Amino acid sequence: MLVFSAFVSVVFAVLTKDDVDSQIRTGVILFAGFGGACILLGWAMYPFPL
Amino acid sequence: MCGHVGSGRLGLDSLVRRKSFISGGSAGALVCVIAWVFPGAGHLWLGRVQKGTVFFIVLPLMYLIGLWLEGQVFSFDLSQPLVALAALADFGIGLPYLLTRFFGAGEGRVVAVTYEYGNTFLVVAGLLNSLVVLDAYDIALGRK
Repeated sequence: MLVFSAFVSVVFAVLTKDDVDSQIRTGVILFAGFGGACILLGWAMYPFPL
Repeated sequence: MCGHVGSGRLGLDSLVRRKSFISGGSAGALVCVIAWVFPGAGHLWLGRVQKGTVFFIVLPLMYLIGLWLEGQVFSFDLSQPLVALAALADFGIGLPYLLTRFFGAGEGRVVAVTYEYGNTFLVVAGLLNSLVVLDAYDIALGRK
């Protein structure tokens, strides 16, 4: 999941921003967002049966 | 200093020539085809070297990881709409998809633990390349 998040973050950051600093900043924010959302959703789904 | 200005001028002339070439006829469609066949090549051709290089490395690598995880490269089967949509998404990666189909790879192994992960990598690589193609088209038309 983290590998997938890293790839998607890199592509979106490079696609949407033109200068390297913005790309790095956007990529880190996206990656953190993906990771955080996965953990939160994982906990939110915890009570549900499989 | 003159040399510096001169080299900048050469770069500008080159850019003007490239833009005039791009704006003519169906060159936008040609950029789309190049960008689709070789992920990142559209950006490289349009002079966006950094972006093109990243796409050229990351997207095929993502696709290869999908194959390594035993994901399935779907074929177009209109009797199963979701499979057809997955095939359309896979198709977006371009040449790697064609090569995979040609060599009969990407059969996938449904019972593998990583099957769905592999499918996700394959599908998303294709969809991301579709976005890259659209971005290259916008650049070719001078919108970006």
